[in-house]
Amino acid sequence: MAESTTALPGKQRLSVAKRSVALETLGRLVKYVSTRGIALFLAAVIGVYLTILIANMGGYVDQIKIGEIREQVGASVLANPALQGRPASEIKKYVEEQVELEIKRLGLDKPFILRSFKYLTAALSLSLGRSEHLTSDSGSRQVRLILLERLPATLLLWGLADLFLFFASVLFALYLSRRYGSFLDRTVIALAPTSAAPPWFYGIILILIFASVLRILPYGGIVDAPPPRTTLGYTLSVFKHLALPVLAVILASIFITIYNWRTFFLIFSSEDYVEMAKAKGLPSGAIERRYILRPTLPTIITSFALMLIAMWMGGIITETIFVWPGLGRLLYEAIGSFDTPVIVASVVLYAYLLAITVLLLDIIYAIIDPRVRVGGEGKLRL
Amino acid sequence: MKKLLIAVSLVAVLLALSVGSALTQQARTGAWVDEIVFTEVVDRAQAVDMLNANQLDLYAFGISEPEIFKKIKESPALGYETSYGSYNELTFNPVGPTFPGTGAFNPFHFPRIREAMNWLIDRNYIVNEIMGGLGVPRWFAITPAFPDYARYADIARALELQYGYDKEKAKAVITEEMTNAGAVLQDGKWYYGGQPVTIIFLIRVEDERRQMGDYIATLLEDIGFTVDRQYKTAREASACWIRSDPATGCFHIYTGGWVTTLIDRDQGGNFDFFYTPRGLPYPLWAAYTPDPEFDAVAERLARNDYKTMDERRELFAQALELSMKDSVRVWLANRVSITPRRANVAVGADLAGGVYGSWIWGFTIRFTDQPAGGTMRIAMPSILPEPWNPLGGTNWVYDMMIMRGMSETMCQPSPFTGLFLPQRVEKAEVYVKEGLPVFKSLDWVDLKFEPEIKVPAGAWIDWDVKAQKFITVGQKYPEGLTANAKVVVHYAPELYQMKWHDGVNLSLADIVLPLILTFDRANPDSAIYDEVVVPDFEQFQQYYKGFRIVQKDPLITEYYTDLTYLDAETLAYAGVLEPYYSYGPGSMHALALGILAEANQELTFTSDKADKLGKEWMNYIAGPSLPILEKYLDQAIADKYIPYANTLGEFITPDQAVAQYQALKAWYQAKGHFFVSQGPSYLEEVRPVEKIVVLKQNTAFIDPSEGNRIKWLEFGKPKIAAVEVTGPGEVKIGGVADFLINVTFEDQPYPLAEIDFAKYLVIDATGKLALVGPAEPVRDGLLVVSLSSADTAKLVPGPNRLEVVVVSKVVSIPGFGSLGFVTTP
Repeated sequence: MAESTTALPGKQRLSVAKRSVALETLGRLVKYVSTRGIALFLAAVIGVYLTILIANMGGYVDQIKIGEIREQVGASVLANPALQGRPASEIKKYVEEQVELEIKRLGLDKPFILRSFKYLTAALSLSLGRSEHLTSDSGSRQVRLILLERLPATLLLWGLADLFLFFASVLFALYLSRRYGSFLDRTVIALAPTSAAPPWFYGIILILIFASVLRILPYGGIVDAPPPRTTLGYTLSVFKHLALPVLAVILASIFITIYNWRTFFLIFSSEDYVEMAKAKGLPSGAIERRYILRPTLPTIITSFALMLIAMWMGGIITETIFVWPGLGRLLYEAIGSFDTPVIVASVVLYAYLLAITVLLLDIIYAIIDPRVRVGGEGKLRL
Repeated sequence: MKKLLIAVSLVAVLLALSVGSALTQQARTGAWVDEIVFTEVVDRAQAVDMLNANQLDLYAFGISEPEIFKKIKESPALGYETSYGSYNELTFNPVGPTFPGTGAFNPFHFPRIREAMNWLIDRNYIVNEIMGGLGVPRWFAITPAFPDYARYADIARALELQYGYDKEKAKAVITEEMTNAGAVLQDGKWYYGGQPVTIIFLIRVEDERRQMGDYIATLLEDIGFTVDRQYKTAREASACWIRSDPATGCFHIYTGGWVTTLIDRDQGGNFDFFYTPRGLPYPLWAAYTPDPEFDAVAERLARNDYKTMDERRELFAQALELSMKDSVRVWLANRVSITPRRANVAVGADLAGGVYGSWIWGFTIRFTDQPAGGTMRIAMPSILPEPWNPLGGTNWVYDMMIMRGMSETMCQPSPFTGLFLPQRVEKAEVYVKEGLPVFKSLDWVDLKFEPEIKVPAGAWIDWDVKAQKFITVGQKYPEGLTANAKVVVHYAPELYQMKWHDGVNLSLADIVLPLILTFDRANPDSAIYDEVVVPDFEQFQQYYKGFRIVQKDPLITEYYTDLTYLDAETLAYAGVLEPYYSYGPGSMHALALGILAEANQELTFTSDKADKLGKEWMNYIAGPSLPILEKYLDQAIADKYIPYANTLGEFITPDQAVAQYQALKAWYQAKGHFFVSQGPSYLEEVRPVEKIVVLKQNTAFIDPSEGNRIKWLEFGKPKIAAVEVTGPGEVKIGGVADFLINVTFEDQPYPLAEIDFAKYLVIDATGKLALVGPAEPVRDGLLVVSLSSADTAKLVPGPNRLEVVVVSKVVSIPGFGSLGFVTTP
């Protein structure tokens, strides 16, 4: 009992001390997360505002848009038989009214600097607003719907390609790292420079081979026309259309990615503790899992997370050459038509996703990597 | 005998069976093909590759790249249609002689230097070398493939010869003018005020204008100018040439381009549009200072200020010549666009708009190597770019092509002459005030002139938004009203048997609704007021003088207007009321849903109003509009809704309206969209994200696919005359000479009945136009040019050239032929 009475205060003291440390750690964590969060948010704000300025060439795009409006209205006058034979004063009035209406619709009657902040607040608040020219495939001007409609196609293409690329290259690289200098290893090194060419380059070659010459795969699009009636038929048709773009994306990156990972794993394979494990006679699978993969996990997770959010942007030219209805092609169309709200929305969502991912990665690092500490040098690690 | 009887009986039975079978077999109606599938192919070379691989049947877009055209021509599996709708020119900045903005010298301020550019540029080089043969040289504001050029082909040809390529002449004129202006030529370079004369040349980069710009820039450099070549896209260039004040001097020359998707039968206004400050209220146009004589001629042509075609011809002759002297624009070439297809595909294409601009493609498209039926696979560079609704939806050529394939209008323009032909109209009587220039070409229109045209008191002249009733002429103008023209339209007897795709019969309510909407949407008191339509309405109201239903069945209407056109056929069609709006077809029962949705501010017909209210732009075929429209469909059924019931209630009962809505509901449930039209195909399936549209044959279409459709079959191929001139190589001055003119189409004699006129021109050894006269008809396919001794006496010894122009009635592109001969004393 005495022991217990003497022990309890000690335990309580320890418990209080632990609680205090935990609270302190939590406090540091909150402070750290908040500071990082604010810094990342500010970076996103700056990034988005710069996008607005660049997409509008600092306001010069207004001049271009007004010029375009005048050109379009002018051409429409020439093509409108109802205006033929009418007095010049009437045509002048008509043209001026049409030009003014379009200028007003696009908000070009207001200074760019004011509109730039409107774009910024709409973007940061994620209201996204309405596009200026583009419509969604089903006809909506809401930027949210425009993006959402294209998202599945992009996720399908890039998700499939990137996931395959990621897991295949990591696993294959791990395999190669244990067979340094083998024929396979040397082959991959030799093929690594092929990744200098972008996916669309491989896309064109693949289209030429499989669609144009062999005629066994489609040139582009997402499904056969007319679309198959059954779900199974539709799915198979989509996969048939996926084959070439996915292959193009994979071909453009697979060797360099394997090479990078393999080099990365090789560095870790030569660490002393790996040599020690080998000396102990541990099986190679266990060495790979425990002594190579574990310490490289933060890098792998970072790479994986960044790959996931990179999917959001799709691939502008790759999607265009395969007529793939994804976000990359949408961004291409938006840039082509100076559709600021759509461009800004794409960028702000990417910026937010990136910021959140970076923040989460910071936290995950601290959890999984024994070497990462959050402040309080010499104190408890998180 | 018994055997004979049995045999005869058997034969009789077999005959009866076969006749019965034939009678029970119904003639095919609607489209020639069972199914039309549209997909998106952006890359033109890829599209041609797919056509070759039999993965497509038609690529409905104009191709102008010579390399791709070569592939098409070389492939036995492919054919093509030709169109002439777009053209290129040089736009000059006329401000000067120096720009107030920069102080830089502007040689193109001087009309003679601009005129000399016509001699400097070799248009044949542009057409043959730069455009790879896919072009036609162009000198004027009128299009070589359109009727006005054909009408005045002899005048045009003479001027074309006068302004043919002559670099030395150009150099001489430019040198003279530059020197007079104070410029100095030193070491082969022009200087003004001690500075090199630098030409800022905005060169468009998207098409062959880049090569044209480079070619012309090189020519200018060759004669001493320093050229600042600024390569720009349309957007980048527009900020300068059309947006900025030309006095700022941001450009001297711009490689302009224009496009038209329909044959313009009256291009008289083009001189006013392109050369005078009246053309457009923009700074560049404000800087135009045409010669007063040219200015007056251009304005008269624009306002149709002439009484006879001879007077118009005289004005045109002046305008063509004076426009060359003005040359604030120098026309370069008319682009020839190729629409590729499989060799076994036939389709009625438009000379201006190709297949995608054709009004009859849906009636005519078919496979030539099989009976009716099959699936036609068509690709375009874009599919469904914008929402579909008849009052303010998409007007992209891609969408409009699909819509036209599923629709018909009461009259449709000939794809080769642009003249309107009747489709659901029996005939029209056109009454025009005496002295106004209106002329007829076809028999379905009866043209009469009257000293005065009174509008009857009962005609509808305006709209009372609150009462939802028309205001009559008697109410608004008790003192009476007159008009410049009256059109009496006799609609086809089968009008009310025509069905919308959902099975609903066409009604008078469908026909009257467009007129109501014209007034109602432009009135601020209306629930569906839209300020965007006001400018168009104001234009309409200036000339509209009344409409009256004379008889309901068969329908006869009268239309009164102050706006007349050169062609009585165009005027007749202007008087036709029909349920086809600016952006597609629209039945009363389908439009009713849109009207309710807009009145309740949930959807809007126009994009502008949608942006203003922050609502969805109405789409009858896909997207978030559909559930809203469905909601109002249910409401319309529940309320037995008739839009503008105080007026349309006269033409449709509430129960009939409900039946129509029920049909539309069934249609929506089956097809998933609200687009109903009346044409030979209907919209079976829309896949907006996948960019696929499927049309199916409309078996309920009123006309047989063959038989009655013969009238559209003649538009398979434009009958452009091939002209060959034969005759003596040597002619004695003072002697006589006969030249034979063989006129053929596909090696068959061209019928004389289809030739409008033929003229000859003789350019003598000095390069001047010495003789002009008619070629006389001999028989089908043969004309003769007879030069009398008096004619040849006007020639000088040396080489001459005989040019012959043959103008057809059935196609607006004239045929040309020529022959050289030598005159000896």
